[in-house]
Amino acid sequence: MNEGVIRDGWAFVWAAYAVSALILTGYATSVFLRYRSTRRKHEQVKP
Amino acid sequence: MAQGKLPHCSVALGALLLAWGSVWGLFYAPAETYMGDVQRIMYVHVPTAWNGMLALTAAFVFAVISLWKGGLAWDSRLEGALEVGVVLCTLLCMQGAIWAKPTWGVWWDWDPRLTTTAVLVFAFGGILALRQFVDDPVKRATWSAVAAIIAFADVPIVYFSVRWWNSLHQVQSTPATVSRAFHWPLRINAFGILFLMCGLIALRARLAALRREEETAPPLPAAVPHGSGLAQGMVP
Repeated sequence: MNEGVIRDGWAFVWAAYAVSALILTGYATSVFLRYRSTRRKHEQVKP
Repeated sequence: MAQGKLPHCSVALGALLLAWGSVWGLFYAPAETYMGDVQRIMYVHVPTAWNGMLALTAAFVFAVISLWKGGLAWDSRLEGALEVGVVLCTLLCMQGAIWAKPTWGVWWDWDPRLTTTAVLVFAFGGILALRQFVDDPVKRATWSAVAAIIAFADVPIVYFSVRWWNSLHQVQSTPATVSRAFHWPLRINAFGILFLMCGLIALRARLAALRREEETAPPLPAAVPHGSGLAQGMVP
């Protein structure tokens, strides 16, 4: 009996941190890249 | 420091704090008595929840100001806060599912807290989708501000759902409701995601403003055919 105690949960902990890192890094990179490309395009069009 | 680089610095500071708090939470904070190591998910899940709600509250404030003042600059800020809020709330649901499996035995349950959070993601995600279908920037700003104000009604419902209904989800975790040993990684990660969120909202708002300028700019003059005389400056 485990007596209501959760054991060996590290796989779930790593999964939660990996998903968080992946989503936050991916989204931040996407915002930076979109911003940089739009700003460059904007500077080229501007007289 | 140039104001133009402030969002970049905020994102970098947020990432550093988040890395520091996560290392502390993963390797140095003690395991919880009953949940064991699984409780370490709290150090990312709870700060994501706080900041997700904060981003959507910012979206609500920007929507109200956008309607009140009528400026398109507030619409850009609204777009930034909406997108960052939806990303954080989607991540919140994923982290919650990963935590739910070892503690509740299921990935998902139609529990009031989970259901109202899912409604939140779909409502605000729907507003982002709606924005793609409206070409007129003024109509887009008005409609999305009204929709954001209506959708925001779900935010307090999400917050109080664990108190109003007999929920499977525990009541809100705050430094007042968890052991002192868990305070620092929780606070550091909360500030980490806060800085990350503020920087990303600011950058995303600038991106929206640039795109709107492109949309509203007058069309460039048509190219003059080579050899037509006009190209050599002759008056027709």
